[in-house]
Amino acid sequence: MRSLLRRYREPLFVALLLALPFTVFAVKAKQKVALNAADRVVIAVTAPVEKLIVAAVHVGQDAWHDYVALGSVREENFRLRRELVREKAQTTAFAETKAENDRLRNLLEYTDKQGPLRSLVAPVVAVGASPHSHVLRIARGSEEGVHRGMPVVAPDGVVGTIALTTAHYADVQLIVSPTSAVPALNERTRARATVKGTGDQARCKLEYGQRTEEWHDGDLVRTAGTIGFFPQGLPIGRLVNVSKKPTGMFISAEVLPAVDFARLDEVIVVLGPQDAAGNALVNASSVGTAQ
Amino acid sequence: MILRSALVLGVCLGFAVLESVFPFVLHLREARADLLLVVVLYLALNDEVIPGASLSLAAGYLSDLTSATPSCLYALLAVFTFAVVRIGANAIKTDGGIQSMGVGFVASLIHSTLAACLFYFVAPGSEGLVLKFPPLLWSALATAIAAPFVFFVLRRLDKGFLPLDAAVRVR
Repeated sequence: MRSLLRRYREPLFVALLLALPFTVFAVKAKQKVALNAADRVVIAVTAPVEKLIVAAVHVGQDAWHDYVALGSVREENFRLRRELVREKAQTTAFAETKAENDRLRNLLEYTDKQGPLRSLVAPVVAVGASPHSHVLRIARGSEEGVHRGMPVVAPDGVVGTIALTTAHYADVQLIVSPTSAVPALNERTRARATVKGTGDQARCKLEYGQRTEEWHDGDLVRTAGTIGFFPQGLPIGRLVNVSKKPTGMFISAEVLPAVDFARLDEVIVVLGPQDAAGNALVNASSVGTAQ
Repeated sequence: MILRSALVLGVCLGFAVLESVFPFVLHLREARADLLLVVVLYLALNDEVIPGASLSLAAGYLSDLTSATPSCLYALLAVFTFAVVRIGANAIKTDGGIQSMGVGFVASLIHSTLAACLFYFVAPGSEGLVLKFPPLLWSALATAIAAPFVFFVLRRLDKGFLPLDAAVRVR
């Protein structure tokens, strides 16, 4: 028996090493990913290095942009001045529209059910390397008040939710992940649906959009603001390839995400509603209300 | 042997950091090189079975940590890849850069396809297999380009631990 074991020592060892992760995988596959102590140690070692490399690259890029690539600054300056004048004119128009909107809201006794939100700016330090990992790593963790399930947004729209946290880092599961589903509504018609990830970095799909409602290519889809999900009104993306099948209750459509996930340097973690005292900020680096 | 294993682990950690940071700073969407897969290929082709399989498991574990996929998906695939490549090691040559690239490309395609199948069949909320080939191809291409570099780094590391005549034989 012993000689047999010695003879097949290597195949048996490999079989054991295959059985070990297979067992863990089979048991935990349907569960949410959780970090153990070893995972936290490895992330604590690697994440600061990732942060350092990204910071070094940004310093290099800034140096290039600030000192070397100044050739077209004068021309750009003229262009920006023209844009500024145009923007000022637009801002004035927007201010008038806002004032009118406020008046009408008061008139209709409109109550904003969506209170102001606490949020935290978080720099992105890495991305998931595999084409099947739809993950960003951010340099904010549970010590800064970031917890699993919190929504993460960017100025352009919805990014994803917090999947894992360590003390100072967290992984964000993007909305394009096949495990992601976001309650949504059509900005134009207010029709409700769900935006689901497909695993494709460039598009999601729209589900449960009723065929009796109006859906068109180019319609902007925003978050519906269901309790426990994203705040209401954040852009998710625009509809493409809308088609009504001859049968069935729902339409078929895809959503092009509003956010370019490959070009995110910073994201905003929505920590939750603001407290009564108006303590909106977690620390000096956080931003104010995100609405 | 322990020092060598520790150094290979250190190299794996370094590659795990690189494969997370480079796609981010270069704004790459899909062309993401799987450097740890190339490490597993190298171990399968050059290492002893027991330390090689153990280090492959460690490399897979590091992939799991950066991907937020179901626990041990990549660890399982790493050991599986090690076993399969080890069985076919006599037919696989990685002497030159082009050969390394070819092996890296094919291995990445198969590895990614297997990962996609396993992931989409078991991930919570998934609706079955949605296999998209363009991302797999881009990833395989990036892995192929990176493969000679990874092989070079690991060969240099191994040369420091082998007698001169054996070091020359390391593929």
